[in-house]
Amino acid sequence: MVTLVQVVVSGLLLGGVYALLAGGLTLIFGVMRVINLAHGEFLMLGAYASFFLFARLGLNPILSLFLSLPLMFGVGWIAQRVLISRVVRAPLLTSLLLTYGVSLALTGGAQATFTNDFRSVPFLSGALNIGELAFSVPRLVACVTALVLTGAAQFFLSRTRWGKALRATAQSADVALACGIDIDRARMIAFGIATALAGAAGTLTSFLYTVYPEMGKTFMLKAFAVIVLGGMGSFPGAFLGALVLGVIESTASYVTTTQIAEAVIYITLLAMLLLRPQGFFGVKEA
Amino acid sequence: MRIYTGFIGAVAVAIALVPVFGSNYTKTFVLQALMSCALAASWNLISGFTGYVSFGHSAFFGIGAYATGIAIVRGGLPAPLAIIVAGISSATAGLLFGYPALRLRGPYFAVGMLGVAEAIRVGVTVAEPLTGGGKGLVLVPEDVLTVSYYAMFAVAIATVLVTYRVATLPVGLRLLAIREDEVAAELNGIQTTRLKIGAFAISALFAGLAGGIYAWQMSYIDPGTVFAGSLTVRAIAMTMLGGQGTVFGPVIGSVVLSGISEALWARFPFLHTALSGVLIIAIVLFLPGGITQILQDRGWLPRSRRL
Amino acid sequence: MNTRTRRSILAGAPAAFGLAGLILSACGGDAGESAAPAAPSTGGAAKGAPVKIGASVSTTGSNGKTGQYQVEAYQLWAEQINARGGLLGRPVEMVILDDQSDPTVGTKLYEKLINEDKVDLVLGPYSSGVTQAVSTVTEKYKYPMLSAGASASDIWKRNYKYVFGVYSVAESYFYGVIDLAKKNGLKTIAIINEDTVFPKATAAGTAEYARKEGFRIVFQEQYPTKVTDLSSLITKLKAAKPEVLVGGSYQPDSVLITRQAKELDLNVKMLAFSVGAAMPEFGEGLGKDADFIFGPSMWEPSLKTKGNSEFEASYKKKWNRDPDYHSATGFAGGQILEAAVLKAKSLDREKIREALSTLETDTVLPGKYKVDDTGTQLSHIPVVIQWQGKDKPVIGPDAMATAKPKFPMPEWKGR
Repeated sequence: MVTLVQVVVSGLLLGGVYALLAGGLTLIFGVMRVINLAHGEFLMLGAYASFFLFARLGLNPILSLFLSLPLMFGVGWIAQRVLISRVVRAPLLTSLLLTYGVSLALTGGAQATFTNDFRSVPFLSGALNIGELAFSVPRLVACVTALVLTGAAQFFLSRTRWGKALRATAQSADVALACGIDIDRARMIAFGIATALAGAAGTLTSFLYTVYPEMGKTFMLKAFAVIVLGGMGSFPGAFLGALVLGVIESTASYVTTTQIAEAVIYITLLAMLLLRPQGFFGVKEA
Repeated sequence: MRIYTGFIGAVAVAIALVPVFGSNYTKTFVLQALMSCALAASWNLISGFTGYVSFGHSAFFGIGAYATGIAIVRGGLPAPLAIIVAGISSATAGLLFGYPALRLRGPYFAVGMLGVAEAIRVGVTVAEPLTGGGKGLVLVPEDVLTVSYYAMFAVAIATVLVTYRVATLPVGLRLLAIREDEVAAELNGIQTTRLKIGAFAISALFAGLAGGIYAWQMSYIDPGTVFAGSLTVRAIAMTMLGGQGTVFGPVIGSVVLSGISEALWARFPFLHTALSGVLIIAIVLFLPGGITQILQDRGWLPRSRRL
Repeated sequence: MNTRTRRSILAGAPAAFGLAGLILSACGGDAGESAAPAAPSTGGAAKGAPVKIGASVSTTGSNGKTGQYQVEAYQLWAEQINARGGLLGRPVEMVILDDQSDPTVGTKLYEKLINEDKVDLVLGPYSSGVTQAVSTVTEKYKYPMLSAGASASDIWKRNYKYVFGVYSVAESYFYGVIDLAKKNGLKTIAIINEDTVFPKATAAGTAEYARKEGFRIVFQEQYPTKVTDLSSLITKLKAAKPEVLVGGSYQPDSVLITRQAKELDLNVKMLAFSVGAAMPEFGEGLGKDADFIFGPSMWEPSLKTKGNSEFEASYKKKWNRDPDYHSATGFAGGQILEAAVLKAKSLDREKIREALSTLETDTVLPGKYKVDDTGTQLSHIPVVIQWQGKDKPVIGPDAMATAKPKFPMPEWKGR
């Protein structure tokens, strides 16, 4: 019994980090109908930022977020302005390929600049023992940070003017435009936030896992599963989906094997698509 | 137009003659280009024509590769039979997955197919007694470079021919209608479900055949390589570069992109990934209709479905 | 320039490049540049037409980092042999390409090296996956190949005559660790591994040996490549209460397992990893947490093998970093090839093949070079290192040890 609780808790902690990454992905899809295949690479950039800030300035990853968040926001803003805006209303294939090109360019650039060496940030380690349960300290810290950031983003989306502008643009860009909303700017803000969140996810992974140029790809597949579960376009859905996926992954690994758990994740994704394509909170498209 | 078809004909003849005049390296390189061509053309059959963008095309290539591998290693079948098995397996998989998957639209279909490809890859990895798991499968190595070269050539030609027939027959128009507006197509009496699934199965068939020949020729396959996402993406990029929904688009795209990749990678070993990315961005931004469309815009090619 | 014109140029450009690229590659031409500059031939003693030695090593892709060590070693060896007068009096020219850690690319490259670049000899790539695929090509053209970067025993199970192992097969990696565990009276063991060629081989070999030595395997499970979370696996493992934990893993997963073991408070008496532990970055990344962890190593700088201190010094001087054991195996590959050529007294590949099958020689690696009739390496002796503070001294076998092993591994909470 205790071990089952342990497993579920591990899964929830895992899900926290997925939520950060998937949240941004779903936001981009919601506001712009673009599937950003380069999202994982923004995570990677965030991870490297955290590593270098730690290595050069001795900043611990949580503190370095104060620097990397605005930086990644800026990166996203520029990316949207220069590249993504050109394919916003284009057919799906166009945006998929474009973002794939960006992903390749970023991965290749990282390989050339940072080399393929594995890096990692020895920030936290060890367990917090409560009774018989052992909670991973770094994961707790990462999950809490993820919750704070996701919460802040959700607050922004639901309570602020610009947040509402983003949601309006997501619902219907033309109507939003007619209402006088600057949809171009809304999109830039959305992409900026999404990228900042991805970068933050990267910062968290920098002390949980190893940092290397191709690290984004593994997380992206999980992120896709999350947004399908939660509903493509729904930010709260991504959060819930991430937690659910984390628990599924963790429990399946425990009950069967880690390898089979991978298959379970994809089967869950497919089942969701077939039974309820709009996910938990997505809107059924007319 | 004559020049165009003449050019394609010349390329075909050149490819046919490579084993006679070319070195083994050239044969290997062109064989891999032909494989890319078959993959691109088969992807085009479903995604270029119907607009259902599949991000899991590598699934069928991988199924074909493993079907052949298992047929030869565990079943003791001779290679030609094993490759036919590959085609049957992947076509069946196409029917099996196509039926539920093609009910999804747009991004859901794309992500769904990605999930299918990954699920199959993991499935193959886990089914170790049959497939060798992560270790890969070792086939009996034979020096079949020339034979497999022609086999792959045949598959590539077959795929293009089928595309040609589909494009010029009314069925091609119906597929294109699905791409333009599926609801309207249905209202017009087009049996969209049957057509979609049919196209999907044929697309899977050719991808699987290509996979089978690949396995036979390489004599070693592992899940990471034959189910690689990059296979799908290359097929997509090539088709897009050449012109999706056209007959020869994938051919041009695969020839051009294979050549550029090879040249890029030979010159810039450390930068070629980044440069490939930039290249794809450039293609998407400046050549969305592909080379075929540009040639048509310029009047060098007629706007015909035969191309 | 209007849109149409620009578009036509853009359409024409890729087509032109593509054709140019095709033609260039087909003709070979200059497309065969080394991924890194070829070693300059120094010294006036080596004269005449160069001996071209080709190889493709992963310098990009998932194995790029480790492959880079092997490339550096090959080039160092070439430079040194040229300084000594070359191979049979002729300068050596290395043609090293990058296979991007992809077996398909590797096979294509060896076809190119053999057919277009017309290399006289070849050396092996890095990683068992690529080597397995590539050896089919070298076997076809009867080019003897020293597998300086791979050791999964499957490579030698296909009745090939032209592939030769340089270091111990993967299956035997943990024998030294098991011996040490047995000596300390341990009885239960858990084995986990990544599901790819090399780790599977180490796990299989370890399981078989452990059973033979009387151990009880209380837990054994595989995990997928690029895994991000092993907490459930470790939770299960913890419940099985093993005394020894052996991980068939590469560096990222070795680090992950160690971290998560600490986070989940998994305590064992001996912990060992196959590839990750012996690399210097393991200790750097984990800091104190790496203490007490064992790992097999194919080579260590402290060993008193033939030419080792010169190798280490010259490597550091040329490449500005310490060699790791992949550098050493690469360098040994060159040394063995040289010895074989000298024994055969010619560059005839059949004679060299003959020589390689019967040769017995020393290299920078511990043990000797000697193969059996399948080409499997017999006499190389892997050593066991243990992290002790910032160092990783050799603690076994006894003859080569520079420190005593620290045993058992204390509990995480106590440190």
